[in-house]
Amino acid sequence: MDFSRRDCVRLGLLGGAVTALGGCAHLANRFAEHHDDASLPSGDVDATSRLVNRLTFGPRPGDVAEVKSAGRTAYVDRLLDPDESEDLRLQFLLGRLDVFQTSSFESQDIPERVVLRQLQQSAILRATYGKHQLRERLVDFWTNHFNIYSRKGLSAYRKAADESTVIRKHAMDTFPKLLTASAHSPAMLMYLDNQGNVLGRPNENYAREIMELHTMGVKSGYTQKDVQEVARCFTGWTIEKRFLHARWAFRFDESLHDNGAKTVLGHSMPAGGGEKDADRVLQILGQHPATARFISKKLCAYFLGEAGEKWVDRTAQTYNQTGGDIRAMLRPILLSQELTDSPPILKRPFDYLVSALRALDADTDGGAAIQEHLAKMGEPLYEWPMPDGYPSRTSAWTGTMLPRWNFVYALSAGEIGGTHVDWGGLQHGHDAEKMFELTHARRTSASDKLLVDKVAKEFKTGDDGVAGAGFLCLAAPSFQWR
Amino acid sequence: MKKFNPIGCEGHLEAEAARLSAPTRRGLLLGAGFSLAAWAGRNSALADLAIAGKDKDKPHDVLVTIFLRGGADGLNAVVPYAEDAYYRNRPNLSIAGPKDLRTGVSSRIVDLNGFFGFHPALSPLISAYREGKLAIVHACGSQDSTRSHFEAMAAIERGLAAEGPGPASGWIARHLASTERSDDSPLRAVAFGGTLPDSLHGASNTVALESLTDFKLETPDYKRLHFEAALRDLYGPGTDEVTHAGRETLAVLESLRKIDPAQYRPSHGAVYPDTDLGRGLRQTACLIRADLGLEVAALDRGGWDTHFVQGSTVGILSLSLDDLGRSLAAFYSDMGGEMAHVTVVVMTEFGRRVAENSSLGTDHGRASFMFVMGGSALGGHIYGKWPGIEDHQLDQTGDLRVTTDYRDVLCEVLAKRMRNDRLSAVFQNFDPKPVGVVA
Repeated sequence: MDFSRRDCVRLGLLGGAVTALGGCAHLANRFAEHHDDASLPSGDVDATSRLVNRLTFGPRPGDVAEVKSAGRTAYVDRLLDPDESEDLRLQFLLGRLDVFQTSSFESQDIPERVVLRQLQQSAILRATYGKHQLRERLVDFWTNHFNIYSRKGLSAYRKAADESTVIRKHAMDTFPKLLTASAHSPAMLMYLDNQGNVLGRPNENYAREIMELHTMGVKSGYTQKDVQEVARCFTGWTIEKRFLHARWAFRFDESLHDNGAKTVLGHSMPAGGGEKDADRVLQILGQHPATARFISKKLCAYFLGEAGEKWVDRTAQTYNQTGGDIRAMLRPILLSQELTDSPPILKRPFDYLVSALRALDADTDGGAAIQEHLAKMGEPLYEWPMPDGYPSRTSAWTGTMLPRWNFVYALSAGEIGGTHVDWGGLQHGHDAEKMFELTHARRTSASDKLLVDKVAKEFKTGDDGVAGAGFLCLAAPSFQWR
Repeated sequence: MKKFNPIGCEGHLEAEAARLSAPTRRGLLLGAGFSLAAWAGRNSALADLAIAGKDKDKPHDVLVTIFLRGGADGLNAVVPYAEDAYYRNRPNLSIAGPKDLRTGVSSRIVDLNGFFGFHPALSPLISAYREGKLAIVHACGSQDSTRSHFEAMAAIERGLAAEGPGPASGWIARHLASTERSDDSPLRAVAFGGTLPDSLHGASNTVALESLTDFKLETPDYKRLHFEAALRDLYGPGTDEVTHAGRETLAVLESLRKIDPAQYRPSHGAVYPDTDLGRGLRQTACLIRADLGLEVAALDRGGWDTHFVQGSTVGILSLSLDDLGRSLAAFYSDMGGEMAHVTVVVMTEFGRRVAENSSLGTDHGRASFMFVMGGSALGGHIYGKWPGIEDHQLDQTGDLRVTTDYRDVLCEVLAKRMRNDRLSAVFQNFDPKPVGVVA
């Protein structure tokens, strides 16, 4: 067998396979020790560009210069404290989405595919145009954390309310408030089957996932017995279906509740607790040190990538001290040196799509045509079936490079219905350096030479040179990371 | 010859465990008389499999894996209908026995061996089973007892006993790495869907795709090669995962240019269901026929987490099984004689609780089933040791015990069908026990 250095690096990543491959083992092990260097790209990073890339869905033209003049602390504090104002274009576009104008129950008159399209449309529009970008990023984070598969049952009709009254409302609140809102959300009650969790033989689905995925994390101290006890606590938490009542609202049905005594994570709960049983569970989980740690770990990884590990303890401490105040936990992370210095994080397809739209200041309706690209890249929003949300690990997304390229080609060439790039209005001047700066929101450096040369050649190919140049900048490896 | 030998339905578990570890097939084969000679006198199954894997000159199969995500209910798929406890524990979800005249024949279990039978929705698979090309392993799974989807899936996809320390890469990725050759195809493995599964984590020469016909750079024709060349340059340097993936994607584009998937017509009148699984298997068949050097196709089928309205012959599980049965049957019929060089493995992360819950569903359990289908499958039998489902035979939570490690099955397939003689690189610190599902 003939091995190149590259093969050895890859085998090094495979770990276990190395020992079986004799001659290469030594070399591979050596590279395996430098896992980070080998698996993540190097390249120059402009600290401010990085900051904006991490705290938003990507810089728009002029954003980085603005942040440079405002200063990092002022910028972070502004993002952490969003007011009620919103981008006017966004308000107008959102106003046309029926699914956010009607109650969940009434929206049943709209076909499911239209509901789903409008949900995705709203997400794309808000991420692209939303004034309060950090909140939009956190909405993405919590949407995946409290994932709801919209194609299960009638979940699609309930997701709009979940999005606005649970996720968006509490995205920057305290974690326990967010958790409590989610537990009462009809969309969640349906998705994780708690609406069918009744006295007798409880349905354990929600009980397990609320501990494993929403709060404490797996193997953090709860047992199968705890899962079963928590399921008993949540019996009777269901959805209003009675005539002349607010349809599909949360409802506690005492007659379906197991009113016996329970023990959850060592806390005894006397018989007759009724609705308060599950309230108590939410309180126990919201205050649990394992929850502080689990939520901190995920938040740190979301904003810092691999470097997040060293921030987990400190963030968990803040959780414990502040009752899970999301903004208090985030502030030091967003101001940390690791955020601007550490290895890059791969953009998921939604991040990639929105960052390209923002870089080129594109006009989009967020509609069916652009959603089709998002689906092909692998992240049709609200359509991840399992309760853990879209994966964040890089390896989940490396199999779908082609649809990324196809999206940015169609975007650059103006082939996506409802989405338009005004090349004439962008300050690229058919200059490769400027096109790079426009898309990457930073100056070029030595490692970008290859791309800049290609782009320069592309400009000379004729009328569609601009589209080709834009395509190459967005399809390049350097635009895949944030 | 014994007609039927449900070992383990009585007797103590310790004794069963001892029997299980003995290197004989006697206790492992359910519901069939079978020659034991092949395994007589062998001490180590690993050594045995290593010998099988040494036949590297023989062509290997194409391996097709189908992962049923969510925890598929083995007890309502391959039903132990002869167990009274089955009907006692599932008053609403159980399915009428093959001879239960109270209901129509299409709503009854399809008998397999007098003890187990298929859910009626799996009846499209009965001919493959009777032709000896579909083997079933029951009461199998991993050692992961967290009952967490994500732990149990990660354990299986990483090829571990249970989720925990061990290589981060996937078992299929390690199989590919340990059988790597200089003349490998750029498309050694394919996943159908929007993301790569963990089993392919770290694999080279692998792409995820939704549709073969769409797998091309969507630029004007006259510019396609120009842009591909530019991308090849941009993704040329770099050792990170993304540049590596970019290079592989470009190689696959090159390779797929040789075929026209839009023209693919299944053989033998096979009709695939118009579902993700049906489309995935249809495209798998197309790739196998195109002879591009594909070694593994990894497919997923979600929707098995049936806590709620799982149903018996009507319900969510029935619809999922119908899709599985019809998709597999179509693939089997389409491939025809070429099935001789194809092995399909169907697996799931865990089974479901024996007792139904109050919402016509079942909660997370332990053991479930696996299918091995192919020209070399020793089908028509149900393998594994049945631990029984009477209360005293279940584990503490009330779940079916795991008596066959899923890796036993995968090791056999890799060694005998995929010609892998480095199983210890794929499944570390694991000494496989013979199951006997493939020749």
